[in-house]
Amino acid sequence: MQSNRVDAATEIDYKAPDTSDTRGRHRISAELKRLEQEARFLEEELEELEKTEKVSTALQELLLQVENRRDPLLPETTGPANPSWDCWFEGPQNMQGCRCWIL
Amino acid sequence: MSFPELKERHVAATAKVNSLREQLKQRRHQLLDTDVAKYAKSQGRTAVNFSSTDLVCSRTLQGHTGKVYSLDWTPEKNRIVSASQDGRLIIWNALTSQKTHAIKLPCAWVMTCAFAPNGNSVACGGLDSACSIFNLNSQVDRDGNIPVSRVLTGHKGYVSSCQYVPGQDTRLITSSGDQTCVLWDVTTGQRISIFGGEFPSGHTSDVLSVSINTSNSNMFVSGSCDATARLWDARIASRAIRTYHGHQGDVNAVKFFPDGQRFGTGSDDGTCMLFDMRTGHQLQVYSQQLDNSDQDAPIVTSIAFSISGRLLFAGYSNGDCYVWDTLLAEVVLNLGKLQTSHEGRISCLGLSDDGSALCTGSWDKNLKIWAFGGHRKVI
Repeated sequence: MQSNRVDAATEIDYKAPDTSDTRGRHRISAELKRLEQEARFLEEELEELEKTEKVSTALQELLLQVENRRDPLLPETTGPANPSWDCWFEGPQNMQGCRCWIL
Repeated sequence: MSFPELKERHVAATAKVNSLREQLKQRRHQLLDTDVAKYAKSQGRTAVNFSSTDLVCSRTLQGHTGKVYSLDWTPEKNRIVSASQDGRLIIWNALTSQKTHAIKLPCAWVMTCAFAPNGNSVACGGLDSACSIFNLNSQVDRDGNIPVSRVLTGHKGYVSSCQYVPGQDTRLITSSGDQTCVLWDVTTGQRISIFGGEFPSGHTSDVLSVSINTSNSNMFVSGSCDATARLWDARIASRAIRTYHGHQGDVNAVKFFPDGQRFGTGSDDGTCMLFDMRTGHQLQVYSQQLDNSDQDAPIVTSIAFSISGRLLFAGYSNGDCYVWDTLLAEVVLNLGKLQTSHEGRISCLGLSDDGSALCTGSWDKNLKIWAFGGHRKVI
């Protein structure tokens, strides 16, 4: 029958996809584009890394920056101290009644 | 191209990407000639010396009836907004401990909240996949609730984190379970830019946290379940500027270092890290050695830096809140082991604008304010 001959022809040319990978052509094509773009980004990053200095280069600056900034939470810090840092240990400044709703 | 040829090219492209990633990893390793702690020790630095009574819990903010999930301070004015499993936002005057507003949310499953720079609005988001904005000066409705003034819709997954762009009350960045971050115009409710999603350099799993650079508010970092942090330029949505590898688990928290040149991360793998934004270098790992190596390390839920960057506060799933000396990579205090500590996991942390106080939020339903109450030596 006609349809059997058509079916037979289709069967010869068609290679069934791997049973382990039944994703469509379009999806694989889109993934391929993404992978190719990612490879380009990674190559750019590798090139940039060739011109990047070692970790130790920036650390002296880090130390100086951190140690020269005033920090109210440290036991020892550069000055001047700000009196408002101790507001958490003074009495409440605003005695307005609590306006929360019943929860 | 035939289907088999397409599949061959796909296999080859995958191999090429893996090989490039490996080359990058090795090249980075070669550049790691030291870390912050080794360098600081070689320069004669010693760890910050806290006595156990130096950092004191000076306020306990009680009022939520469920776990606290998120908190944010206003710039100046010492007000805090907190979000809880009880489906409410509470606005607190941190100095007086009093609640100025309690907002019952349309969707109770809130995960994050943020204060607008001018202190007049708050934003929150969660499992409703939207970010809701409330104007604190609005007239309340007949139930006594502040109505929603704007809903930012468009995310296809939960909103995990939100932050207003510093100095801009009309711009907000959100991170989401849909693998993207979005920059919003709050006035119109429109998405200005979408970061990630279909692009190859976007996150490949849920994005859990976001932090905007206060020195250059065009730059922000995001942390994700794909175990990476990524740096974005808000003006360039098409690709991440840089991807930072190193963690072995979800990156739950990201926070810029005060100088804006570095940022910290906290992860499910139990460690925090400090990265150099520009070079991509991993500058330091903050990791506690466990006595019993069979134990799973508690996960890091949240992080914050003190205003100089000398201290890294890290909240953990077991209720610990380590205070790390960032330069020496040593734990100098554990706020989770003090008498006044929380009774549950610390889920969120934040520093006040002037750096004088740390607020912690916990699954024990409370928030606590910590400040330096010891003898301060000023040089």
